Amino acid sequence: MSTIELNHLTFTYPERSFSLDVEYKHFADPMVAIVGQNGAGKSTLFKLLTGLLTPQTGVIKIDGENFNDLKPVEKLLKVGITFQNPDDQLFNPTVQREVEWNVAQVMDDHDTITRRALAALKRVGLNDKTAENPYDLSLSERKLLSVATVLAVDPAIYLFDEPMMSLDWESRRKLTAIFHQLADSGHQVVTITHDMDWVAAEFESVYVMEHGKFGFAGSPRELFSDHELVQRVGLLPPRIMDIAESLGDSQTYLSVNDYWQKNRDV
Amino acid sequence: MDEDKRIVIENLTTRYPGTEQPQLRQINAEVHTGQVVGIIGNSHSGKSTLCRVLAGVIPKIVSAEIEGDWHMFGQRVSDNWPVYNAMNGVVLQNPADQLSGLADTVADEIAFDLINQGMAEGLIQKRVEEVATQMGLIEQLNLRPESLSGGQIQRLAIATAIAANPAVLIMDDPTSEMDSLGRRQFFQWLAQVKETTVFIVTSEIDDLCEVADVVWVLHEGQMVAQGRPGEVFNHLAADWQIPAPTIQQLAQKMDWHLADGRYPVNDAELKEDRYVHN
Repeated sequence: MSTIELNHLTFTYPERSFSLDVEYKHFADPMVAIVGQNGAGKSTLFKLLTGLLTPQTGVIKIDGENFNDLKPVEKLLKVGITFQNPDDQLFNPTVQREVEWNVAQVMDDHDTITRRALAALKRVGLNDKTAENPYDLSLSERKLLSVATVLAVDPAIYLFDEPMMSLDWESRRKLTAIFHQLADSGHQVVTITHDMDWVAAEFESVYVMEHGKFGFAGSPRELFSDHELVQRVGLLPPRIMDIAESLGDSQTYLSVNDYWQKNRDV
Repeated sequence: MDEDKRIVIENLTTRYPGTEQPQLRQINAEVHTGQVVGIIGNSHSGKSTLCRVLAGVIPKIVSAEIEGDWHMFGQRVSDNWPVYNAMNGVVLQNPADQLSGLADTVADEIAFDLINQGMAEGLIQKRVEEVATQMGLIEQLNLRPESLSGGQIQRLAIATAIAANPAVLIMDDPTSEMDSLGRRQFFQWLAQVKETTVFIVTSEIDDLCEVADVVWVLHEGQMVAQGRPGEVFNHLAADWQIPAPTIQQLAQKMDWHLADGRYPVNDAELKEDRYVHN
C-alpha cells in the first residue's frame, strides 16, 4: 500500500497569519480521518498533497519518493482528490465525458478510457445518467460524479475533502462502502471530515489538526475518551455519546452497536 | 378554521418545462402558524421543488406547469406577489448564489432588505446586530461576504432571511456546509424560534426530531408520510431509504418501548421511556 509521509513541512500564505507546520507525520493506515475546526489547516494540507500549493520547506514523500519531483501524470496516478464542492471540479457537457476527461489525463487509449469511465460510473450508481449534463444532477449525484472521476483514474491514494457533506442517505451508504472497498484493495484513503458519527463508526485512525499543526493521533475510541481534548479542539462527540450522557452514562461509545454490546445484559 | 392561520397545499402537481415526469405529484398538506415542518427525502424526491413553490420562486422566477393550489394565510402568489413575497424569508441550496453581490460587508448584506423596506437607519443597525448575534456572525460584520467559509455563508443567508422578521421561513438544507458545532448552534437557535412558521429541508434527522412539530416525507414527488416525528419515524418504509434517528435505532436495539408501543425518537421521549421502564 502506498502511504503519505510528511517531513518538516511548512507553508505560510502571503498576507495571512495562518501557517502550517508539520514536523513529521506518516499516515500508515488504509483509512485515515483528519479532523479539526475550520481554519485548522486541513484544506491547506490537502492542497499541498495534490500539488495545488508548494511547501516553502520540507518534503511530501509517497513510497519514499519526493512528490513534488514527480511528473504531472505520475502525480495524478499517486494521489487523486475529491473536493468538498463538486462544482469546483465539474465542467464537461455530459456525465460520461466528465469522467473520461479525467482518465484522458493519464492515458491515451480511447477504448480503455471509455471502459474505465463507465465502470466508475457504475460503481457510484450513475450508469443510467451517462448522457446527462452534470448540472442536471442533484447535489448528491454531482458529488458521486466527482468521486467517479477519481475512481476512474484509480490513483494509489484517495483524498476526500468532506465527502459526506450534502450527501443524501443512500449516497452516504454507497460512498462508505466504496471507502472500505478501496482500503481493502490496497489503496490508502485519507479524508477530511466534520462528521464524528461517521469517524467513530467507520475509521480506525484519526488525526486532529489544530492551528496548523497535528496534535492527537490515535483511534476514535482514544480520541472520544479524552473529553477535555475533544472540547478544546472544537469537536462534538458522536451522537450516541450525547444520548448516553443524557441517560447519565459518560462512557465512550462509538455507535449504537457499541452501546448495545456493552449494555445488553445490564 | 380561520383560513388566515393556515398554510394550505391542495392537490399540487408541478412539472418543469421539457421534463416528462412531474417533480411533485398531488401534494396535500396543511400547516398551522408557528409550526416547524421538517421535509425529508432522498435525491429527486421533490424537496427542493416544494421549497421553491412555497417561496414563490416557482412560478415567479422558475417557470413550471402547476396544477392544484396553495396559499399562505389566505395569500396566493397570483393574487398579490409583493405581499406573498414579503411574508417569506428564504434560504435556498447554494446560498452563495443568493447573496446580493452588491454589499461590501456582511453587515450591508444583512441590512439590504431592511434598507429596501425603508427602515430607519438606527433601527437597521440594531436589527443587523441582533440577527448577526443569533447566527454567530457578530465578529464577521465588517468582512466581505465572499471571504466567508461555506458554513458562514449559510449563516449569513439565514441572517438575511430572518432580518425582516418574516412570518414564514423556508430553508433548503441550510446546514449542509456547517461544521458540527455550527450545526448544533443552528438547531439550538431553531428550537427557540416562536411564532414564525418554519419549513426546513434537512438530512440531519437527529436534530430534526428535537425541533420539528411535523415531518413530511417525500418520495419520488409524492408525500408518502406526514405527522409528528414519533409517528413518521416509527413507520418508515424500506424503499424510502431514510434512516431512523439514532435514539430510535438505540431504542430498537435495546428494546426500549414507550407506553404506546412506539420507540422514542428524541431526547424528551427517551427520558419518558426511561421513566416508564424504571
